[in-house]
Amino acid sequence: MPFLELREVVKSFGRHEVVKGLSLDVEEGEFLSFLGGSGCGKTTTLRMIAGFETPTAGSILIDGGDVSRVQPNRRNLGMVFQNYALFPNMTVRRNIAFGLKISGRKRSEIERRVDEMLELIHMGEFAARYPHQLSGGQQQRVALARAIAIEPRALLLDEPLSALDAKIRVKLRDDIRDIQRKLGITTIYVTHDQEEALSISDRVAVMKDGLIEQIGAPFEIYNRPATPYVAAFIGTLNIIPATAIDPAAGSVAVGGQVISAGRRLDAKPGEELSLSIRPEAFTLGGANFLEGSVAKVKLLGSIVRLVVSVGGRAVSADGFNDPSRRIPAVGETVRLGVAAEAIVVSRPEEAPLVAQVVEAEGVDEA
Amino acid sequence: MKKRSGLSWLGLCLGLVYFFLPLLATFLFSLHGKKGVLSFAAYERVFADPQFLKTFGFSLEMAVFTVLAGLALIVPTAIWIQLKVPKAKPLIEVLALMPFVIPPIILAFGLIRSYSKPPFALVSSPALLVAGYVIIAFPYIYRSVDAGLRAMDLRGLSEAAQSLGAGWPSLLFRVVLPNLRTALLSAVFLTFAIVIGELTLAVLLAWPAFGPYMALVGRDLAYEPAALAILSFAMTWGSIGLIQAISRGSPGQRSSLGGTH
Repeated sequence: MPFLELREVVKSFGRHEVVKGLSLDVEEGEFLSFLGGSGCGKTTTLRMIAGFETPTAGSILIDGGDVSRVQPNRRNLGMVFQNYALFPNMTVRRNIAFGLKISGRKRSEIERRVDEMLELIHMGEFAARYPHQLSGGQQQRVALARAIAIEPRALLLDEPLSALDAKIRVKLRDDIRDIQRKLGITTIYVTHDQEEALSISDRVAVMKDGLIEQIGAPFEIYNRPATPYVAAFIGTLNIIPATAIDPAAGSVAVGGQVISAGRRLDAKPGEELSLSIRPEAFTLGGANFLEGSVAKVKLLGSIVRLVVSVGGRAVSADGFNDPSRRIPAVGETVRLGVAAEAIVVSRPEEAPLVAQVVEAEGVDEA
Repeated sequence: MKKRSGLSWLGLCLGLVYFFLPLLATFLFSLHGKKGVLSFAAYERVFADPQFLKTFGFSLEMAVFTVLAGLALIVPTAIWIQLKVPKAKPLIEVLALMPFVIPPIILAFGLIRSYSKPPFALVSSPALLVAGYVIIAFPYIYRSVDAGLRAMDLRGLSEAAQSLGAGWPSLLFRVVLPNLRTALLSAVFLTFAIVIGELTLAVLLAWPAFGPYMALVGRDLAYEPAALAILSFAMTWGSIGLIQAISRGSPGQRSSLGGTH
């Protein structure tokens, strides 16, 4: 039996339906992320699990019990907020002790538990400080400790890192994951940052328009996106218009250049198609290739991104920043090789949103 | 740049002179209670008048009740509106302007007409006076509390407290009120200042309050009203100093006097 279960959950604000019949099972001890752009319903879903919003329809079950109408203070769920929400009038120690005091634990037990938590977040020496005397990262660690201290049934995190600097974000992300593993606590994490979701989660639920578009392990989501939206939202994706040449043989043309998709295509010859190819799927040279001139060379740290103009269209290709290899210069003609199985072929109208996203990028780079 | 800062200093000095000169003159005048010498004779006479202590005591008592009733009524309302019905905010804003728009004399006659006959024969009860004072103090209390609430992310804190198991009483007494301390103090002192000096309601409802006493003294005597004016200034400034001292004493709080005017 799943530990946390959402059954056909709907949430409307007035006439606006934000969550549209979402169903989900979360196993005990699992780390699940809701990933999606703004307005996709991820935060609303989390807030319904927390009890701050009541579902318009459907039900939410925790450990087999229906909590849909239970007040948030009776759900025993730990929550971490984007803006920390520490109590400004209390020291770090008293913030962490708050939930324990409310539940009427013994004083000695509270002290012991708070010390344990301070050690877990490595903030023992800050126990007597007030929130405004701490950095953002420290405040969020205290907020995490405060949420975990009450031994909640599950931990809910609402974009906990988005107010922090990039470096602290990565560090705290790893800390959250370590603590979660150590305690084995069921965790639901809301974020709009795909790298965060992919690196931290057991499973990622990509959300769009109030529904889960795809749910799966991070590798699955990245390597086998189920829908064009997921493909475009996760990582960078080239969308290249093409024309079917010989559908039975899987050959298509991109601006006059013929390339093989390696499999039978369900299309008529001459039909307009759309190819989706990840930048890292390209290599320089190879038998199955697109030719073009280098428009831009971008260094992204460990990755070098070439923007190549193929038939007047900007195509991004990524390679490792390997000092032993020569990087093509701007204006040079290169062949971008790609394995046939790395090409996803779809009809253009199946990916309106995808085309929009990447076209915008294409214009910028061309 | 230098010229500008010189000008602003000049402006400040002029402002201070404009403000302090009458105060200084009043103070000096109040020291002339005994002919020919500077003395505190006027102050001695003020304190010696049994009416002074009696009326002041009465107004103080009314102020305490007004503060208690006002806070009990307005603080939960302001919190509730901020959290649950933010749409009602404009309505409350308009209501908070009413005591400025409706003159106290209208308020007093309204109260007398409405509550002088059964089933609401309250006109001889000090409760009616307190009720009137609550109305007059409402904008000041509401604005202080509202500013305090807005400064503290009420929604975030209340959700955090709820997720940690806190119900409404815990939320109110452990989280919201401690963080509202400065705002509440300024509401309390403003209410005191208003009630202590209030004239119209006290006169029309016929209560021996401090306001009517001051008016009476001002009509009949020369030096004592000056002494009373200086005394009330001293009390007001003492109160403000007290707010500052107390709010500085709480290290967890950013010192912010609720913007009330």
